Amino acid sequence: MTDMTPTRPLLEVRGLNKHYPAGKRGLFGRQMMQVLRDVSFDLYPGEVLGLVGESGSGKSTIGKAVLRLVDSQSQAMRFDGRELAGLPTEDLRRLRKDMQIIFQDPYASLDPRKTIRATLTEALDTHGLHRGAARQPRLVALMQMVGLNPAFLDRRPHEFSGGQRQRIGIARALAVEPRFIVADEAVSALDVSIQAQVLNLLADLRAKTGVSLLFISHDLSVVRFISDRVMVLYLGRVMEVGPADQVHFAPRHPYTAALVSAEPSLHKAPDRIRLTGEIPSPLNPPSGCVFRSRCPYALPACATAVPDLRPAGEGRMTACIRDDIL
Amino acid sequence: MTPQAQRPGWRRLAAAFPRRMIVPSVLLAALIIIPFAAPLITDANPIRISVRERLSPPSWAHPLGQDEFGRDRLARVLYGGQISLTVAFVATSIACIVGTLFGLIGAYFRGPFQFVTTRMADIVLCFPPILLALLVVTLFGPGAVTLVAVLSVLYFPSFARIAFSEALRVSSLDFVEASRALGTPSRRILLRTILPNIAGPVSVQYSLTAAAAITIESGLSFLGLGVVPPAPSWGQMIRGARQFMEQDPLGILIPCIALTLTIYAINFFCDRLRDTLDPKGGAGDGKDTVSRPIASAVAGHTPVADAPETVAEIRDLRLDLALPGAPVTLIEDVSLRLRANECTALVGESGSGKSLSSLALMGLLPGGIRQSSGQLRLRRKSGEMVDLATLTARELEQVRGHDVAMIFQEPMTSLNPVHKVGTQMVEAIQAHRPMSAEAARKLAITLLERVGINEAARRFDGYPHEMSGGMRQRVMIAMALSCEPRLLIADEPTTALDVTIQAEIIELLRDLRRDYADGLSLLFISHNLGIVADIADRVAVMYSGQVVEEGPTDLVLRAPLHPYTRALLESMPSSHEALHSARGDRLQAISGTPPLPNARPSGCAFRDRCPIAIEACATIRPHLEPRPGERAVRCIRAPEGQEVAA
Amino acid sequence: MAAFLFRRLVAAAGMLLVVGTIIFSLLVIVPGDPAALLLATGGGSGTEEQIAAVRERMGLDQPVWQQYVDFLTSSLRFDFGTSLIDGSSIAENIGLRLPRTLELIVAGALFALAVAIPAGTYAGLHAGGRFDVVASAANALLTSVPGFVVGTLFIYLFAQILRVLPAGGYVPFAQDPVQHLRMLVLPALTVGLHLSTIIFRMTRASVLEMRGHDWVRTATAKGLRRRLVVRRHILRNALGPVITVVGLQLGILLGSTVLVEFVYNWPGLSGFLVSAVEQRDYPSVRAVILTVAAIFIAINLAIEILYSLLDPRIRQQ
Repeated sequence: MTDMTPTRPLLEVRGLNKHYPAGKRGLFGRQMMQVLRDVSFDLYPGEVLGLVGESGSGKSTIGKAVLRLVDSQSQAMRFDGRELAGLPTEDLRRLRKDMQIIFQDPYASLDPRKTIRATLTEALDTHGLHRGAARQPRLVALMQMVGLNPAFLDRRPHEFSGGQRQRIGIARALAVEPRFIVADEAVSALDVSIQAQVLNLLADLRAKTGVSLLFISHDLSVVRFISDRVMVLYLGRVMEVGPADQVHFAPRHPYTAALVSAEPSLHKAPDRIRLTGEIPSPLNPPSGCVFRSRCPYALPACATAVPDLRPAGEGRMTACIRDDIL
Repeated sequence: MTPQAQRPGWRRLAAAFPRRMIVPSVLLAALIIIPFAAPLITDANPIRISVRERLSPPSWAHPLGQDEFGRDRLARVLYGGQISLTVAFVATSIACIVGTLFGLIGAYFRGPFQFVTTRMADIVLCFPPILLALLVVTLFGPGAVTLVAVLSVLYFPSFARIAFSEALRVSSLDFVEASRALGTPSRRILLRTILPNIAGPVSVQYSLTAAAAITIESGLSFLGLGVVPPAPSWGQMIRGARQFMEQDPLGILIPCIALTLTIYAINFFCDRLRDTLDPKGGAGDGKDTVSRPIASAVAGHTPVADAPETVAEIRDLRLDLALPGAPVTLIEDVSLRLRANECTALVGESGSGKSLSSLALMGLLPGGIRQSSGQLRLRRKSGEMVDLATLTARELEQVRGHDVAMIFQEPMTSLNPVHKVGTQMVEAIQAHRPMSAEAARKLAITLLERVGINEAARRFDGYPHEMSGGMRQRVMIAMALSCEPRLLIADEPTTALDVTIQAEIIELLRDLRRDYADGLSLLFISHNLGIVADIADRVAVMYSGQVVEEGPTDLVLRAPLHPYTRALLESMPSSHEALHSARGDRLQAISGTPPLPNARPSGCAFRDRCPIAIEACATIRPHLEPRPGERAVRCIRAPEGQEVAA
Repeated sequence: MAAFLFRRLVAAAGMLLVVGTIIFSLLVIVPGDPAALLLATGGGSGTEEQIAAVRERMGLDQPVWQQYVDFLTSSLRFDFGTSLIDGSSIAENIGLRLPRTLELIVAGALFALAVAIPAGTYAGLHAGGRFDVVASAANALLTSVPGFVVGTLFIYLFAQILRVLPAGGYVPFAQDPVQHLRMLVLPALTVGLHLSTIIFRMTRASVLEMRGHDWVRTATAKGLRRRLVVRRHILRNALGPVITVVGLQLGILLGSTVLVEFVYNWPGLSGFLVSAVEQRDYPSVRAVILTVAAIFIAINLAIEILYSLLDPRIRQQ
């Protein structure tokens, strides 16, 4: 996947915005909180795009927005060339066969009242796949694909550990043979030894099926390992995007640099970049560059204009007006 | 469903029927069935008057005697029950069906439906139910039909509200989102996924409502405004017998008992149903119950001469979870020595026992957990070494916060939301230092400044919810240090925080240790080896309730001796910066999951996941063996393991 | 805080308007002529003249909007018109009897609070202990006994068997304070008993929940004395939910008070209400219910304000 031939993107997002009503009730209704500001990106077939950011960065909202699980505004949001916004309900329902999601919390993501069989069957029934005699072999194949014993099909979620539940969630997503999966903090709730198992599973599935992944996580090294490209978000804006290893080892944006250096590592970083202050509230973000209030390199000019995402080397973009720092 | 699942259907159902529900279900069923079996029990006519036999005591023909009109009391109680139960259950059923429908519609369509659904209940709640019933009775006159109508109107909004809020709660859960993402039609989601998941709370409400409806029906009949005479009803029987209670107490007691018993049976059923649906509602152990440390039972275990640099010591600690039947051992044979001015990290995955070990050292073990052997020793600021088990509850209070302090994982919930930040700090200071409020305030503000809180004086008068997670954790640290303890226990203090904030807190802890006048030892509990490498001098790795490896951080993380430590390091993506999934690289994951405390394998607890396990591992329980370089490891293969690693 | 108070006040006023509207519209949505309906007894109905008289007395001959405006404006002035039966002023009747009902409720509530909060706290702190098991079982049983049953049994026990207290009745306090209080004991106990079962259950559950919170562990870890932990970090937090639920239960309490008054011949709103219902005196019934609903709304307003003082987070929502 590293040789990125410019094929047509599977998912094209341009100018994605998302507001929530939040904060204090004013005289004229509630204040609006903007959690995504003008987010644009492409995801190519078979690619893993990592989304990293801290709380309030809007990374999970992007995942839900492109699946149309939450409403959003965008200039364009095309899946395989089809505009997703305004798609009629029935068409959208059919399109969902191609787009799936894996959740963070292995306990909340499975219906406690349904057996694994019922959960997987719901997925297959919805899109009329593998009916009749083909059903059982398909269920068995799915269980094997995610490394679970097919004998567990008639058990309920409470009989499984967190890692096993996460595998069931992956099997549910894979059941409809999607071309695109959003993995929303899919390994964050797992212990490190289990996390490695699930990461390997996702990597294998990608290699085997060629599915595209939008891999959302707050853990930089996990994202670096699994993703082809990484997009760094801060307060709903894209800070930097580029090939995973490059963004991680040679960040171009001060925020990425700070994030990488703040990450606990076995090899002690000699010079940590200190960020000052707290992450601002999305209710009133700083003017201009949203990161400037914590940026050690901020200039007066950073307060006036929102920096554009501009090219910074091959396949890389950064939203910082300074060239001279990193 | 598969044929396999269908065949033993009812058997499964019977097996799945919670045992605690059997008694209330049988009682309730009996009380509902008996009145309707009245013709089988007695052939007396409940409304046949026999004035000559008024107020007769029980006889063969009339086992419960006769009332003020000489009517057969047994027949009246039974037939009266029919009417009460019918009115109550018909009205409740109507209210339940209509209300649930409203609630689901409100949750599904939102907007105006939502408004109507939620407000309706607020409004109906303003009317005392019995008064609204009276209003309607005034208009339409008394009667069973009027009652059913009033009661269903009265109660359907509460069903609507419960169904609404529950449906909203359930539909925000990930598994409903997953169904939506699958493209499952909304109707199917509503009926197959949401409805079964709200059935519990709705059925609890059903029982509550049925009980309330019986109360209201009998109350109205008691006032003479409910069921129209001569049709029997319990309320009316009490009304009628009231004038004669001195001559004939039975007339009062019988309907009172019937009424109370029926309502009790419904409430009892409802309580048990609630417990069954929500197991945590039972007699849980709050975070305030603390089990007492016990004096070590090991004979001849005289304390070894304490090295003066020891600030705390855990020796051969074993913790059991007291369960009905056999206790489950959570922690076994844990020993750890904390030295002055040193940061010791306790690492392990969830369930490894690292937090429990640290809580034990605070004397803060949750109520259900017992220390069944071992010693917990702390050095007080006076220099004296004390065994926690020998302290009284009051002495333990004096040690906590004063000699040893603790900060926790969740800064968002670790501070009391209803008290000001300053109040909580002053409280901590004044618990151990005789100090005026003004002096304590000054000290608290100084401490807040020390931990890097801007505008400390303003924050002092603020509430926790006005602060971010990072700031609250700083407050917790300031509070913990307010009485200058020798030892600070930090239980995953940064796990809930963002990466950049986490780095700041770690740095703060490091700075504080450096600046601390008399030396501060730190026991740092974490699952993140990266942070441990950053802050700790020594590290102890726990797996399944045991310390499996211990030693200086650099050595343990660079050249682990135990296969589990090695596996942990190997599974971390951050320790393999050259690996990338796109190039076909995979992390070296160990298979399987940590065993549950009640299902540990024989011999070494790690053996069934261990890549270098041999047959002997199943029989030998390894001990924590000392190794050169102030290290120790619990593995019979460790020496060979070291060669493998090299 | 001012904004919070203002919002709450507006909400309460709005609620009152809605309640008044509903009570009013009941007459409008009733099928057929409400006057004829009120005069209907069993099979028979009132004569033409009687119906016409009732229509005029209740203003039913006016257009609906006119009736609505009249109803609201006169209700605001506490002018509820006159009784259909004896032509006496309804407001005067209510003014005379309401204080007696309130006296009963306040006495009952004080008893309930004094008993149930300590008992509930103790049971919650020692959940599963001996006291908790016994108290919870007794509570479950007592919850199941309707107020009028308790009243009837109390009369039987205390007035007829033990003969220690009067079976009922009322003497004004000014006339004979001791007898007044003696007559108050049983009705107040009866009202309070039911309320105390609710408060006990809520306090126990709330204490049980609060003691599981992290801040309780923090307080213990600070080395705070046990009784301070309980008072400041468990009980203080537990009371908010308790008073809210109690406020919501007051509707039921006010209702059961009607029955209790009836049992003990306590001349509160109940006697007036019951005879009004028996005689189909709709304006009187309507006025009583409006009054009670207004009291209920006022109490809940007070509780919301109290809660906001207990928990700073509420004020800012």
